[in-house]
Amino acid sequence: MAAAVEYIQKDSPVHRLNAATKIFWALFTLACGLLFNDYRYLLGLLASVLLVAAAGRVLKNLLPAITGLSVFALILLLIQALFYDQGQVIFHLIPQTSYLPVTNYGILSGVAMAARMLSLVLSFLVLLATTRIQDMVLTMVEKFKMPYDYAFMFMTTLRFIPTFLGEVRQITDAQKARGHAVEGFNPFKKIRSYAPVTVPLVLISLNKAENMAMAMETRGYGGGRRTYFKEPKMRGADYLLTAVLLLLLVLGVTARVKGLGVM
Amino acid sequence: MTAARQPLIKVENLTYQYNGAQPVLKNISLEIGRGECLAVIGQNGSGKTTLVKHFNGLLKPSSGRVYINGRDTGPQKVSTLARTVGYVFQNPDHQIFHDTVGKEVAFGLKNLRLPAEEIERRVNEALEAVGLTGHYATYPFNLSKGQRQRVALASVLAMHTEVIVLDEPTTGQDYRESVQIMEMVKNLHEKGHTIVFITHDMSLVARYAARTVVLCEGEILADAPVRAVFAQPELLARSYLKPPQITLLAQELGKRAIPPDVISVREMYDLLQKARADKIGCCG
Repeated sequence: MAAAVEYIQKDSPVHRLNAATKIFWALFTLACGLLFNDYRYLLGLLASVLLVAAAGRVLKNLLPAITGLSVFALILLLIQALFYDQGQVIFHLIPQTSYLPVTNYGILSGVAMAARMLSLVLSFLVLLATTRIQDMVLTMVEKFKMPYDYAFMFMTTLRFIPTFLGEVRQITDAQKARGHAVEGFNPFKKIRSYAPVTVPLVLISLNKAENMAMAMETRGYGGGRRTYFKEPKMRGADYLLTAVLLLLLVLGVTARVKGLGVM
Repeated sequence: MTAARQPLIKVENLTYQYNGAQPVLKNISLEIGRGECLAVIGQNGSGKTTLVKHFNGLLKPSSGRVYINGRDTGPQKVSTLARTVGYVFQNPDHQIFHDTVGKEVAFGLKNLRLPAEEIERRVNEALEAVGLTGHYATYPFNLSKGQRQRVALASVLAMHTEVIVLDEPTTGQDYRESVQIMEMVKNLHEKGHTIVFITHDMSLVARYAARTVVLCEGEILADAPVRAVFAQPELLARSYLKPPQITLLAQELGKRAIPPDVISVREMYDLLQKARADKIGCCG
């Protein structure tokens, strides 16, 4: 799943869009996901997210993440099916008794929950996979007037996830090569057997953070007002898409107020 | 007798690729006998580390087989293979986590479940071998990077593995430290350990290795005695490597009956002396 959080260099219409448009799209998906709870609407939303991923040619890269998330989606579905008792009973989980009824609404609301979770998480992953971090920082600071320090902190955190996973792999290898094995079923023993990985990881991370702070300072971080080499332009497609999304959002809110898309 | 003749490490048609991307190693076959001292060289990204990581099972072949002592590494755990193949990583900070040097070196031995007295004995012996006697109770992060590298080396040495793999053991060390480390490696080799080391330093190859494997874009470009490899500068150039300067000089002087595979200053000195004596002999 780690690889999915990274920017994937490709040439696609989605990549070419302005970061602001894509951030707006992710927020739009978030809003829609929370507005409705009808499974049809939410499945539609999920389909639209997958379509954007396909247009951005990152669907294949996101596949491991989608598989991983599907497990959680399934768990959500199961929990809903088990504990939602409104609607028509289809069958009982313990046959021949009236215990643990599974209802049609239970299943449908489970599907809705799963689809909502998948759309929200995937829209965020598509955004990250198709937008360069620098562009996102730039947009957050310039367009959304976020303080630069916060935007930078947020993005650095994201940037560090793959780096840390790489370190974890190297440390694990180094300890395995000395005959270390994460062993046993005793949870306390298990936690203790992770120490050979966590201790070097913390030390290396502190070291990395310190080096990064120095590198930032030598490059004049915090030295006054920032200017930018690249001014990201909103092009026609960006304006058009933003307008369409805005329109859809207004329609969505109106529909919701009128009681559509709610079970 | 057959068991003794069996190569210690045998690589058969090894191909390796990181999840679905271009293969890093392409159809590599290689045999390393007991007691060899082998240098693996090649430019960055040529697959050196990927290759040696197969020797202790950290990586498993995408296709092909790797045998250690005649046993396929595929189904074996790294922690089991660690009894036969020791591996010293580039960066010691990826492994050091104890609060004293002694405990750090003992870690691998405890994993092997050796008795306490044996551990004690081997730790002291290993620390002596790397020149860190007296640092038993030192906090490892108070040591210099070069010293920490030697702690890492000691922690593998103490395990008394038949094979010792060293991934760029001298990176980031000054000249004196590099020589110290390589002298230790040479010592181990003389004691009967099989050594495989990766390096970018051709003078180290010339001084310490007997056999050299040159990797280029995941393929073996050459696998021969060090001299034979350095005598072919065009071949090395294909992997962006250059023989040591003394060898280059010999090749430059080639026309004057200096062989192109000189790899040490001493050798060159003797050859030049001899050439001069011959000359005096014929003309004077």
